[in-house]
Amino acid sequence: MNATGSSIHTITVMGTFATIEVVGDPSDPKQIAEREAAIERAFGWFDRIEACCSRFEPASELSQLARQIGVPVPASEILYEAVQFAVAVAEESDGAFDPTVGVEMETRGFNREYRTRRVIHTGIAARGVSYRDVRLDPKRRTITLLRPLMLDLGAVAKGLAIDMAARELASFTGFAIDAGGDLFLGGCRLDGAPWTVGIRHPRDDRALIDAVRVSNRAVCTSGDYERRSGGDAGHHIIDARSGTPATMLASVTVVAPTAMLADALATAAFALGPDEGIRLLERHGVEGLLVPPTLQRHATRGFPSDYSILQDTKGPADDRLRDPDGDGGSDRGHQPDVWCSR
Amino acid sequence: MKRRPLVALSSAAILAIYAAGYVRTRGAADRFAAEAAPRRAPAANPPLVQSAPPLPRVQQGEPVIPPPTRQIETRARAAAGQTPAVTSSPAPDVVPQPAAPAPSPAITEYEPPPVPSAPPEVPAPTVEARFKDGTYLGWGYCRHGDIQASVAVEAGRITSATIARCLTRYSCSWIEALPGQVVSRQSPEVDYVSGATESTDAFHDAVADALSKAK
Repeated sequence: MNATGSSIHTITVMGTFATIEVVGDPSDPKQIAEREAAIERAFGWFDRIEACCSRFEPASELSQLARQIGVPVPASEILYEAVQFAVAVAEESDGAFDPTVGVEMETRGFNREYRTRRVIHTGIAARGVSYRDVRLDPKRRTITLLRPLMLDLGAVAKGLAIDMAARELASFTGFAIDAGGDLFLGGCRLDGAPWTVGIRHPRDDRALIDAVRVSNRAVCTSGDYERRSGGDAGHHIIDARSGTPATMLASVTVVAPTAMLADALATAAFALGPDEGIRLLERHGVEGLLVPPTLQRHATRGFPSDYSILQDTKGPADDRLRDPDGDGGSDRGHQPDVWCSR
Repeated sequence: MKRRPLVALSSAAILAIYAAGYVRTRGAADRFAAEAAPRRAPAANPPLVQSAPPLPRVQQGEPVIPPPTRQIETRARAAAGQTPAVTSSPAPDVVPQPAAPAPSPAITEYEPPPVPSAPPEVPAPTVEARFKDGTYLGWGYCRHGDIQASVAVEAGRITSATIARCLTRYSCSWIEALPGQVVSRQSPEVDYVSGATESTDAFHDAVADALSKAK
């Protein structure tokens, strides 16, 4: 068997597990060291962005912002860009996606800091607020909250952290970042082929509903199965126009150049429903698969669905891992250079 | 209504933040380059990140505990295979890890794989809890079943958090995947799976439950 391998690390961050894999030669200590260091730096972005953008952490910059109403507050680069982007997505989705749902989320039971399970209560009375109550000054880089509200950057911050990690790893020929099922796949796998990504079936977490072959793309999925609050009060994606959980879709997967975009548009499309959701994705030139509870498929025209990946199964994983013929299982006729020319 | 090009906006945001953060990361990179050659790979860089799920505040004046090494896997991928292979040759500093268990039906108990853990780098200002030394067990629940976590506390700080048992409808292999092999957790057919799992919360619940006994 070829002496090939990757460096893979996993941490817990942002309420989920984040895994980074960097493809490379396992026999060269210098290269291994470079990969390990780059992975550390990439994970550093997750911590930095979480420390800045968490509404569960009273000391975060986001929480501090919520305590200053009606005054322009100078923002860090991370917070400013995250809020600016979230507001832009709100405008684009005509308010179906709205980052000002923080208090609404809190009252719906999304109110526990994931590390300590401590219940948070901001005490903010945010009634009838919307993204229009957030003012940004691009020259002074300040954010002004016009009314008492708590921003929820959940749909943006994780994607942003993935993108920053991807930027940190950009010099490697292949890497993968998996933050709780939101992915960025950089370059190629070790064999020069593009990465294969399965899309979770929204009603059976041990099954895949589709698969794609991608390179240098983010793949993010929003589903009604994730993050249910205590009891059965509903899932975590609120249609901000009605203030209730969106019910038209069971899952939305978006394939886009950045995870920030993929994650935010998946959430926005989820709130909008299949028809408006597809229009939103196509208007922004990204691909998506939208699956309603009845499990019909609604996909953008260019969605890179590739069922052949799923038909590739040749038996239990453990047998295949042994690779008895020692050729690395090469029988698929990949075209590595087409995908991985850099 | 004005329309905004979100693709360009997201790319610009990434560049702006990267430019602002570059000074710091470059410092780390340079330091690493200087130190990397004579030293072992994983130890060459100071940990930038915190890995243990619940992190007590660092007490001032407390003796520094050497950071437990984050789990590092040098994972072999078949050269052209579809399937990510599972742990093989350990790199220096690798925490011993049990071989991937064959999928087993129904309720299973197994030796816990090590969970990556490290002392807090960034103090969590609001968590004042100081834990008593010892090893604590706690349970977390998800709709697949129950997960038991074992949390070790030394000198008031969490030194490890591992999955002790899982009692689930399915085999434990998917739980076993949590700490180190989230990558291949759900499907042998693909490299990665998009779409969240619920298991993280259950594990965190279990750790938090264990820590509630350590007060």
